[in-house]
Amino acid sequence: MNRIRKVPLLAALLSAWAGSATAQAPAQQPPAQGTPTFSSRWSPTVPVIQSGEWLGKRLPDGQPDVQGHWSNTISNHSNFTDPQGGAPGERSRQAGLPREQRAPSRVSDPADGQVPYLPEARALQQEFASNFANPTEERYIEPLARCAPAGVPKSFYWHGYEIKQYPGYVLLLFNSGTRIIRLDGKPHLASDIKLWNGDSRGHWEGNTLVVEVANNNGKALFGRTGDFMSENATVQERFIFDNDGQHYNLVATFTDPTAYSRPWTATIPARRYTEADKPDGWHYEVVASNRPGQPLHYEQPERICIENNGPFGGGAVGVPVHARVIDR
Amino acid sequence: MRGPFSILRGTALAVALAIPLSGALAQAQTTPGTIPRQADGKPDFSGVWQTLSEADYDLEPHAGRRDAPPSAGVVDGSALPYRPEALAQKKANFDKRGEDDPRLKCWTLGVPRSVYYPAPFQIFQHPEELTLVHQLGHQVRTIFTDGSLHPEHLEEGYWLGDSRGHWEGDTLVVDVNHFNGETWFDRAGAYHGEALHVVEKWAFVDANTVSYSATVEDPDVYTRPWTVSVLLNRRRDPGFELIEDYCFTLPYEPHYPHKDVTP
Repeated sequence: MNRIRKVPLLAALLSAWAGSATAQAPAQQPPAQGTPTFSSRWSPTVPVIQSGEWLGKRLPDGQPDVQGHWSNTISNHSNFTDPQGGAPGERSRQAGLPREQRAPSRVSDPADGQVPYLPEARALQQEFASNFANPTEERYIEPLARCAPAGVPKSFYWHGYEIKQYPGYVLLLFNSGTRIIRLDGKPHLASDIKLWNGDSRGHWEGNTLVVEVANNNGKALFGRTGDFMSENATVQERFIFDNDGQHYNLVATFTDPTAYSRPWTATIPARRYTEADKPDGWHYEVVASNRPGQPLHYEQPERICIENNGPFGGGAVGVPVHARVIDR
Repeated sequence: MRGPFSILRGTALAVALAIPLSGALAQAQTTPGTIPRQADGKPDFSGVWQTLSEADYDLEPHAGRRDAPPSAGVVDGSALPYRPEALAQKKANFDKRGEDDPRLKCWTLGVPRSVYYPAPFQIFQHPEELTLVHQLGHQVRTIFTDGSLHPEHLEEGYWLGDSRGHWEGDTLVVDVNHFNGETWFDRAGAYHGEALHVVEKWAFVDANTVSYSATVEDPDVYTRPWTVSVLLNRRRDPGFELIEDYCFTLPYEPHYPHKDVTP
């Protein structure tokens, strides 16, 4: 029996991308944004997709059929408001370019691209950012580095993911975490239940899946810049699907009187991945199904960050992977 | 074989033999059309399921003890057929179960344990695959039913194995392999290695009850295959739904968001 022997392998691969391990292991930088691979992996622009009628195919229960593999097109979670600018203390190559040559802030409202924090919340975010590269306290470690669920909205810019649909449900299967979006119109859980991914209740309006997310615990953070919501936040997500079936924008409005001076909105673009795309280990982490004589079909391997349990920043940052955690 | 279980083996044999029999009778009583079905006519296991059995406490027959309610056992035969050296490891596991059981870290439970661990899991079913979301740790398993075969090669074993299912009448038969050796079968230290191979059978007894069995084969640990059988009950409590339970985050979650705390 050797229960922890295997934790690191795929985890190490992930952390090589994650770069959050850079605090402990500078050699494990993500491919620097601006290397020759940059242009193929990320786009600097955000498409405009209007809410409206859905003209595409539907599932037997009437839902627009948006099932499949998806991934964001802008950047990972290194920097929330300057997505291609690099993590705090780890400037990307693009960081030297004029700002308009990098992807815009994920904050689409207010127009200045900044989260409208109240002063105390802004101070907390800035304290995290200034300590990110050399964390001296547990709270300065980006929780995704410990395999925590990526949460709302970070899950949508952390590796590719799958959307599956069922009567009454939209299921989001992320690299780090799973969300069950219920379409049955029932109320949220009791408000004192706080969850990493919140409690999601959704409905379709034409080409737009509208999801109210309550019961947030605020713990996942939005990325390496330490942007965040408090446990009093609610989020309305509008997943606006292009009738081309290949793109959608997540337009999410955050309301939180504890942390923000006013509601604000993030826009996160995504595109579909299919068998026409090559698996790339980040957006599209699939393997070919073993189906001799059948057309190429990709499938998702076991989602390792949840399922290898041992948080991959664990050894370095003091997560007790050996001690008992629960009594049930 | 020596150990705390040997006294019980006589009784256990009779009881254990009775379990598959009653399961078979129950299945025989199922009439077509009374169970949920997909559009293609196959049984539809969509919903939230949970065992009432004591399987997770100890698969083998045992009297009640501090950390386990009594059970007549849920495996065929009597005690699990350990190889001699494996039995020593099992006993060592049992002695340290309060610390060494992977479940205590909220780690992914493996197969078949994730099915009979006493917490709910939800099945989302398409004709091509079933997605199982387990409340504990929100671990996710995909059972492919699209005719695909196991991968010929995996660099790392999976915590939940690689699951390929097919239908034999109204029974879903799932072949699971490519495991790692990190998980246990119960709280009493029953374990396996990387050679584990599991064949599951899922079949409705009635619309709200599923007969589940898993035949376990691991020649490195056991002298013969053995089978665990439990019933799974649909969670019908009014308004019941799965609630995320990422309990593996408990050691560090107090520090977030931006909390200066000493847990």
